[in-house]
Amino acid sequence: MEIPYIVEPRKDTGLNNSKIAIWLFLASEVMLFGGLFSGYVFLRVYADYPWPERTLPVLPGLLNTFILIASSITVVFAWVSLKLRQWRKFQVYMSITLICAALFMVFKAVEYKAKLGHQAIRLDDYTVVEGHAYPQEGREKGITKNLNIDAKRMAISVKFVDDAYYKALSEQYEGKFVLADDLKLNSGTEYKKGTAINKELLEEAKVDYLDALAINERINTEINREVIKEANNHPIVGSQRYYEPERKDFLSKRIKELKDEQAELGNYKTITPSLLFDSNEGSSRISVNPRWGKLSNKKEGEEGDLTLKDKTVFIGTTADSSIELHVDGIDFRHTVMKAIEKGIDPEVAINNSWLLKDEGMKLIWDKHQVVVAKLEALLEEHGKGHEPTEVELYRVNWQEIAGLEKTSIADLEGMNHEEIMDLFPGDIEGFAGPDHYKVEYPEIIVPREQVRFEAVFSPRWNTYYATYFTITGLHGLHIIGGALVLGYYLFFGRKMYDSNPEWLANRVEVGGLFWHFVDLVWIFLFPILYLM
Amino acid sequence: MSDHHDDHHDHHNPGFIQKYIFSTDHKMIGIQYGITALLFLLFGFYLMMVMRWSIAYPNDPLPTWMSWLFTDDWKAQWLSEGKLPGETYNMFGAMHGTIMVFLGIVPLGFGAFGNYVTPLQIGAPDMAFPKLNMFSYWIYLVGGLMMCASFFLETGAAKSGWTNYPPLSFFADADHPHQFWTGQTQWLLGLVMLITSSLLGSVNFITTIINLRAKGLTWMRMPFFVWAMLVTGFLLLLAFPPLEVAGIMQVVDRMFGSSFFQPSGLYHQQIGLSDASGGGSPLLYQHLFWFLGHPEVYVLLLPAIACVAEIIPANTRRPIWGYKSMVYGVLVLGFLSFIVWAHHMYMTGMGPAVSAFFQTTTTLISIPSVILLTCLLISLWGGSIKFTPPMLWACAFLPMFGIGGLTGLPLAFNLVDLHLHDTYYVIGHFHYVVAPGILFGFFAGIHHWYPKMTGRYMSKTLNHLHFWPSLILMNTLFFPMLIQGMAGFHRRWYNGGDAYLTADPESANVFGKTVAEHIDLNITMSWSAWLLCAAQIPFVINLFASIKFGRKTNSDNPWNACSLEWATPTPPGHGNFLEEPVCYRGSYEYARPEVDEDFYPQWKKPVEDETKEG
Repeated sequence: MEIPYIVEPRKDTGLNNSKIAIWLFLASEVMLFGGLFSGYVFLRVYADYPWPERTLPVLPGLLNTFILIASSITVVFAWVSLKLRQWRKFQVYMSITLICAALFMVFKAVEYKAKLGHQAIRLDDYTVVEGHAYPQEGREKGITKNLNIDAKRMAISVKFVDDAYYKALSEQYEGKFVLADDLKLNSGTEYKKGTAINKELLEEAKVDYLDALAINERINTEINREVIKEANNHPIVGSQRYYEPERKDFLSKRIKELKDEQAELGNYKTITPSLLFDSNEGSSRISVNPRWGKLSNKKEGEEGDLTLKDKTVFIGTTADSSIELHVDGIDFRHTVMKAIEKGIDPEVAINNSWLLKDEGMKLIWDKHQVVVAKLEALLEEHGKGHEPTEVELYRVNWQEIAGLEKTSIADLEGMNHEEIMDLFPGDIEGFAGPDHYKVEYPEIIVPREQVRFEAVFSPRWNTYYATYFTITGLHGLHIIGGALVLGYYLFFGRKMYDSNPEWLANRVEVGGLFWHFVDLVWIFLFPILYLM
Repeated sequence: MSDHHDDHHDHHNPGFIQKYIFSTDHKMIGIQYGITALLFLLFGFYLMMVMRWSIAYPNDPLPTWMSWLFTDDWKAQWLSEGKLPGETYNMFGAMHGTIMVFLGIVPLGFGAFGNYVTPLQIGAPDMAFPKLNMFSYWIYLVGGLMMCASFFLETGAAKSGWTNYPPLSFFADADHPHQFWTGQTQWLLGLVMLITSSLLGSVNFITTIINLRAKGLTWMRMPFFVWAMLVTGFLLLLAFPPLEVAGIMQVVDRMFGSSFFQPSGLYHQQIGLSDASGGGSPLLYQHLFWFLGHPEVYVLLLPAIACVAEIIPANTRRPIWGYKSMVYGVLVLGFLSFIVWAHHMYMTGMGPAVSAFFQTTTTLISIPSVILLTCLLISLWGGSIKFTPPMLWACAFLPMFGIGGLTGLPLAFNLVDLHLHDTYYVIGHFHYVVAPGILFGFFAGIHHWYPKMTGRYMSKTLNHLHFWPSLILMNTLFFPMLIQGMAGFHRRWYNGGDAYLTADPESANVFGKTVAEHIDLNITMSWSAWLLCAAQIPFVINLFASIKFGRKTNSDNPWNACSLEWATPTPPGHGNFLEEPVCYRGSYEYARPEVDEDFYPQWKKPVEDETKEG
């Protein structure tokens, strides 16, 4: 028997197999994206930080919406062409569909790139500053954000030391750090104090450590087994349950005795879990990616240590680990939120903030107050009940900073709201966000101890961007998957078209249904992520 | 029929690899699923036996018959003087749960039985999408192996319970330099693969059942088995994606540092203040997880009930009682299972209104469950019962699943749950459902369809050696759990309560004294578990030896059953049926007056005199 209803529909259901399958698949896709959307709602409703509203550039998203709608139409045309047996037309429409898909991904990539190059810092008092950490060419990339320490001593955990970390950092400490004490391994190999750190030494110490651990474990297990046997044959504790104190005492006493015996015999191996190295220059500068470790003391010039995730520890004096930022966004909403929680006047909290101690920032903020005053005046004209939103009050975005850079407070005083708005760059100018090559944004240096949390605009920065990247990422994967399938029909469908054109038409219909679904998801995504 | 070699429609003669490994034949895929799932079950069993040692004898090193599997390096890292430390216990516990649920029972019920039996029962040549079917299996296998291989990573396997609740799971292995190579992340990726496999499978199943039914096989003539598979398919299709999302979100949390499930200001004793943005919600994960988690219970259960529902009529020689109410019951059950999930979350402080809603739906769902069980029970009434091996298991299934189901009722009420939550009572409850319930149903199914797969019966003697010890030991293993649970034993104690007990009778520590009273049950349970493992040896021998040495069947329909799978040659070739089957009646037409035999198969043309039929 052959599998029926591959092309022809079954009479009582009126559907062929793949039509049923795609609708079922789409049902599960609805649940998939439904889960993500409900996650978004849940996180937004219960967010304990100001939700970033309308922070994405609308234009690329809007263009993408039109592009996807257009491709949904052309995919239907492609299907109709097949039904009418017009191969050439099918090729044309399907190609347009695929070009749209590619275009969509290009805009998406532009957006992603802009986000991932955009630094944000949550300061200790919950003020948020955004900007570019390294906008100018020539500045060594990455250095300003690294954690730096002048290390006198380092401790390496032989078991956990990580190859990738070692490879990346060894340039900084190879030849500079030497063994602090003589090292004698169980294998007999000896390293004198002052031996420079090297990979072979660490490898050897690791093997030696693991071997010692295994051997000691074996001895101890044997001792335990023996003692349990002894206890079971004992006239008193033998009949007792394991938790009865007398038996417990007996066990621990005997185990200790036997362990001492083994120790005296010298059967135990020495366990060296970590090695100490000293700097032979007094102290050496170590600079580490901030995701790799943690500074115990972030204040420059104070004693502290830097612990990496592979349990390597550098001990010394914290060096300058500040972040140099070209500021294109200031946000006091979180500060205000925290101030209200504590019962402090928001204005006071803002004026006391660390950020406004910087003159440049203070100037921007003062200018922003003028802008707000003008806005309030305008809203008053429109009647009672109209007030600036929290975003308008407490957030200075990149358009505003770029606009305000061009003018002074005195000039601003003389303008009305509309004139001020004209200063700000429009949608085309900031297609995917602020352009740091065109506008000179004010610079600020944030010392590490002021940094409560820092990230680029990645999933790490907050749950909004986490949702944005996860949903749009999954959606993007759907686009790629759909385009691959449709592309397969376009480039390799001719054979099927010649043998059974109806079959190909059915396949394209099913692919088209999926494509429509992907489009529909975007139609929900666009307002939720870009407009709300 | 029995001397048939290969289906005449089958043009190609597949080679070994195509026939046994990368097979697209639903029967071979079913067998692959079955063997793989049984192996995973064995591995999960082994993990549990090690855990039970630590519970019964926390101060004794593991015996050599348990620890011979570990290398010296592994022992040095994960055992402490030969004993099981808490972290390793957690790892084993998390993996035991995951393996049993996701790698064992679901693939055995839905993957193996569903794949082998469903197309045969509806008279289809294969699944609607054979290649997709093959991919489902391979994705499942890779996902499962990924999870198990993580035992050998530096971090060990996942260790945050089979539910993987954040923020606990977030902190586990959080400071490893390469998040991809941690047990936690591998667990999540494995899970995403398993879900993908199940999704593809469920699309395939539902399409097959809707579109590939034989001529005359109307909905109400379908065997109950097929109905159960249809509902299971829909449960998988709609309930699994939210967990897939949750899994992906946790992967993003781990690998890209996001905070979907990390609240603000998260602090860990060793790691310190978490370097994450915060603002997420652990509760969100629980919602997403249990939105799958509860339908999942029925994904486990329905295939087992389905097997039993096929075996009881064939061995009582009378139609199943209340076929229609069973069908409607299983549909209602499927629907309700989507709105009961938060009864796993009474302790999260969702508020009384939400709790009351889920308490109501939870008690409601017991109605269709009871309908199913009652129908099966009444089916026995007045039948001429033949205690064949499958019937033995099916008969044991009824009371065992009954205990499992009824012990669940108290947990549905949020006030009682406050006391019983996360205790051994819960463990006892769901193990009664899964082990002597669902697994017994599957053993019944294996014995029932084995003659169709191989042309030979499994041994009766070996089955008795397997059945009776299993039945007794299952009860001595799980019943004490209910008692311990009510006494307040927590499910995650790695030392069986050793740390909590007070031996001093004068002590004011009331709980310590309660623990002391019940702690010796641990030994009964642990020995039951180890002996239960020994009791499975006859089954393993039976399963493989019967292929060669089993008693031969004398017809294609050895149980004289009515449904379509018995109309195929034994074993069925590629394409299943020699000619297109046609259905003339329902699938449980036993003891009909119009035929001389006591069964009237679906595919038999009606007898001449049809006027007698009602």
